[in-house]
Amino acid sequence: MTTALKPPTPESFTSRLHSPAVAARVGVWLGVCFGLAFLTGLISHYAQNVSQPIPFPTSPSWGYRLTQGLHVITGTAAIPLLLVKLWTVYPKFFERPPRNVRRVVVEVLERINTGLLVSAGIFLLVSGTLNVAQWYPWEFSYRRTHYAVAWVAIGALVVHIAVKLPIIRDALRGHLDDSTHDNPSATRDSGVSRRGLLTTTWVAGGLAVLTTAGSTVPALRDLSIFGVRSGGGPGGIPINKSAASADVTATATSSSYSLSVVHGDNAVTLTRDDLLAMTQRTETLPIACVEGWSANGTWTGVRLRDLLDLVGAPRDRDVAIGSLQQEGAFRDSLLQGNFADDDRTLLALQLDGEPLSIDHGYPCRLIAPNRPGVLQTKWVSTIEVPA
Amino acid sequence: MTRVLLVVVGVLVGAYGAWLLLSRQDTDGNVATLVWLGAGVLLHDFLLVPVVLVVMGLGSRLLPSAWRAPVALGVVVLGSLTLMAVPVLGRFGARPDNPTLVDRPYVAGWLVLAALVAVVVVAASLLRSRRAVPTGPGPEEQ
Repeated sequence: MTTALKPPTPESFTSRLHSPAVAARVGVWLGVCFGLAFLTGLISHYAQNVSQPIPFPTSPSWGYRLTQGLHVITGTAAIPLLLVKLWTVYPKFFERPPRNVRRVVVEVLERINTGLLVSAGIFLLVSGTLNVAQWYPWEFSYRRTHYAVAWVAIGALVVHIAVKLPIIRDALRGHLDDSTHDNPSATRDSGVSRRGLLTTTWVAGGLAVLTTAGSTVPALRDLSIFGVRSGGGPGGIPINKSAASADVTATATSSSYSLSVVHGDNAVTLTRDDLLAMTQRTETLPIACVEGWSANGTWTGVRLRDLLDLVGAPRDRDVAIGSLQQEGAFRDSLLQGNFADDDRTLLALQLDGEPLSIDHGYPCRLIAPNRPGVLQTKWVSTIEVPA
Repeated sequence: MTRVLLVVVGVLVGAYGAWLLLSRQDTDGNVATLVWLGAGVLLHDFLLVPVVLVVMGLGSRLLPSAWRAPVALGVVVLGSLTLMAVPVLGRFGARPDNPTLVDRPYVAGWLVLAALVAVVVVAASLLRSRRAVPTGPGPEEQ
């Protein structure tokens, strides 16, 4: 153990588990997870964009619930996969640069790319996991940063795959125990077989999903010991932002509350009783949060289109929904024309046959199909269609 | 050719990300992002992996051979799931005004998981040590 003080070399790592045959196989599934998380992340980002050149579809109503659930599930499954993958290739971190000048340049560029990939990959999984649990110990804007770093990670991943393509191909075509591409010193049998390590990695990835996905897959609720939400809450739906934290308790319960619906010079003011006196519709629609939890609710209230008709607002126009909430990024939202005109879009007054609880948006809240939860504005006080 | 094309696409996609990252926030936000980007990889490479290697090294010296593989694989499962569950185990995001957030008995859940992993590890180790006695036919075979 006299080598303990010297920096290790790749030859210091003698286990035969440090092999491209293992890394490539874990890498494939890690790539699948990152790819799916990236695509579903793009969908989520677009759904939250104010400007949507191609309208985000209103159907199926559970579309966003599915894509965002998948986003968090694939990201979570990637945690054990990334840890095993990085451990497998860890000896490469200590490789000495080659002597040849041209090779050095290529090698340095490749190292920078690998560094970016590892750094961005860890960042995405850590920041995503913390966001799911609503823990924000940082100074940056989560949504923008997570989104931008995702592009960096995917770019670096594509370059990484391009660089490693021949060895990946060889490794995947060859037998798992093949040692063609191994470091010659990585021959020690530690007792753990490569097959055993792979199986364990899949089990860990599967358990990561089972123990968390109950927040969005009701059937897994009892198994999800690490789920951020048990699924409980008023009307069977959890709460993301409470009335207390939005500072609306007083205004939402005030007897002077009224909703104003405005289109140009046409304006009506309605109390909650006025809204209750209008035709009531009931729709079963999910609340699907960006944090990955979701739940179906049976909502009763006034169809938004009925309200827009009161002030003669034309169809296919964006609608600004304002909340009693005075501060915060989601105090208002823009409802695109196709959502405003969808028959299922309600200004909900009841959930599950009971008056809306204050934390779910009493006196009334927006509920539209296939829409991120943060845009389902609560404590609605203004509905405005610009003339 | 495919590889060159992939490199070009990858560099463009990554550059777009870098531009998004640096152009949409003030300096403080950018500095915080870079600190987190760096800290994650440093903690992984210089803390987590060395600790894992030391633990594995100790395990291979102290444990009977039949126990080494099951224990190592048990550590992979329980270790990665524990890391994943840190935010809920510590309930760092809990808010007094929202009882529907981080509302499970996470420590109890972790103990159940740890017990399950331990049972599997012990069972696998016992099976292996029984199988690993090669000295002549066992009494049950006579």
